Amino acid sequence: MATITLKNISKVFESTGKKKSEENTRTLAVSDFNLEIKDKEFVVLVGPSGCGKSTTLRMIAGLEEISSGELYIDDVLVNDIEPKDRDIAMVFQNYALYPHMTVYDNIAYPLKLHKVPKAEIQERVMEAARILDIEQYLKRKPKALSGGQRQRVAIGRAIVRNPKVLLMDEPLSNLDAKLRNQMRAEIIALRSKINTTFVYVTHDQTEAMTLGDRIVIMKDGFIQQAASPQDAFDHPANIFVAGFIGAPSMNFFPGKLLRQGDVYCVQVEDLIVQLPEEKCARLAGKDVQPQDITVGVRPSHINVDTGVENELTGTINVSEMMGTEVHLHVKSSGNDVVIIVPVIGSYASYEKYLRQDEVVKFSFTGEACHVFDSEGKNLEF
Amino acid sequence: MKKLKRNAVPYLYIAPTVILMAVLLVLPIFNVIRYSFYDNAFVKKNPSPVGWLNYQKVLADPVFWQSVRETTFFVIVSIVGHILIALIFAHLLNTTMFKQRTKTLARIVYILPWIFTATVISVMWKLIFQPAGVMNYLLGFIGLATKNTEWFSNKDIALYVVTYINLWSGYPFYMISVLAGLQGISPDLYESSAIDGATSFKSFLYITLPQLKPILLSLVMLDFVWTLKTFAIVWTLTAGGPMHATEIISLYIYRTAFMENHYSLASAAAVFLLIVCMIVAVFYTRQQFKIQED
Repeated sequence: MATITLKNISKVFESTGKKKSEENTRTLAVSDFNLEIKDKEFVVLVGPSGCGKSTTLRMIAGLEEISSGELYIDDVLVNDIEPKDRDIAMVFQNYALYPHMTVYDNIAYPLKLHKVPKAEIQERVMEAARILDIEQYLKRKPKALSGGQRQRVAIGRAIVRNPKVLLMDEPLSNLDAKLRNQMRAEIIALRSKINTTFVYVTHDQTEAMTLGDRIVIMKDGFIQQAASPQDAFDHPANIFVAGFIGAPSMNFFPGKLLRQGDVYCVQVEDLIVQLPEEKCARLAGKDVQPQDITVGVRPSHINVDTGVENELTGTINVSEMMGTEVHLHVKSSGNDVVIIVPVIGSYASYEKYLRQDEVVKFSFTGEACHVFDSEGKNLEF
Repeated sequence: MKKLKRNAVPYLYIAPTVILMAVLLVLPIFNVIRYSFYDNAFVKKNPSPVGWLNYQKVLADPVFWQSVRETTFFVIVSIVGHILIALIFAHLLNTTMFKQRTKTLARIVYILPWIFTATVISVMWKLIFQPAGVMNYLLGFIGLATKNTEWFSNKDIALYVVTYINLWSGYPFYMISVLAGLQGISPDLYESSAIDGATSFKSFLYITLPQLKPILLSLVMLDFVWTLKTFAIVWTLTAGGPMHATEIISLYIYRTAFMENHYSLASAAAVFLLIVCMIVAVFYTRQQFKIQED
């Protein structure tokens, strides 16, 4: 139930050398971060380790000092406000449950600190326990719970006092794959039950894609793109975003951008495909000139053995049978290309793709192409 | 035969320890208990059993009761003081407010009292507290002492001074133990607590103290036993004087046994001390088991 505004937020970690001969080092963790998070929005900060996403979250929480910039929660400047006075709640990666307290006391702790009457504490703890289905564990200590149950208790403790903002720092990364999928679905369900603004940090792009209204992709302390998951997937702002979002990752081919009037084509080796009208219009609007480019194509958008002219060729290095599809790792002109081949029809129809060193021919259409300039920027932007 | 040999092996391994403990621990305890029921053991060639007479004599001795009162004060103030000083200093050493270099320096300074032996500590504090010493000079500025203030010869304050010196000489062990305990608490708990709405004091109350509880309980029990049997430092400072004012129970036993040659009376007094220590030891062991179970 709050808006969050981050204006030119930066964070510098300074460490002094232990010996006199060692120099003091300055590490820029977050640089010039600008973002407006709307009321009740679910924003996911995603990026590889060390990209500054957790630091950003911790600055919102007040656990990390802001080096420069302004942070507003509901239009109130909170840079110098203590965490306890920000009306936020946070779920930590390792749960951070109080080991000496029972589950009930863990969930009741924030209410107790806010001097809520005992009867109301009981009512609200029971309500949170009911939402998270942990009523039967209330008398247990955290050590007697499984990872998934602990995570629920941590979430319970966070939602019990209806905070303005709910921060989650990689809450699912300590769980096994199956439990992670289950908890992910539960967080989606939880969202519909509690009206609050969510900021969620993860390095897992699947979590980001499935949970967020908007995802903020970060790298080296900088925002690479802030967009809806589908938009980031369909229109990645640069090569980094293109490679980070989507699994398996997007394939990249060195190629050329060709232009004839307002019609653009891309050429990869001898394969020439025409870009669709929509893309051409955007490129023409920016008067993009023919140049060397990197062509990005998602594995699921590559077609095999279609018989089009000048198909690319490669040999299968590894093939992974996933049940409904086969992931081919193909070596083609020095590039490692991943191709997803759907498993349809008889075994004979896809059997050849399971053989190592089998030669495959593949191509893609203009709709599937993303074009990036030599600096990795999407030319359509 | 082979089976017997195999069964005997573990016992052979623990045999040296068991023999050592029997000779150095069980036997002396047993002998002390035995002497306490005899008529002046050691001194007489053939002491005769006297039943509970020695216990009755000890319990009827006003100096024994004075000693019990002084020991109670000495032990309780030492324990409370040690734990409080340990908590405060350990927090200072664990804080992020100071730079690492400052903290390392402070750690060395804080730990200094621990490296001195009891006699060195006694000589040092005797010099400081002597009538013409530094303490009277400094306290003279605020009117709390004069050149003639006698710290160890005044029966009303000698016990306080001795207790203070015992506090000073013993706190580093407790400080280091509490510091280790503090460093074992995950910083996440404090961050989580701060977000949940806790002030620093409430985090201390609801996170630090409960997390340190096992270590604090162990320290209290250890300190209880150690302080109860303190001897060297008090003996070298005051030898129990003036007028038994600092004669804690261990000094009472020593004086009765080795200065007055009443070994059986001293043994009876030692058995009282033994019983108190045993009760604490049982609590300590039970608490350790509970920690292990948790």
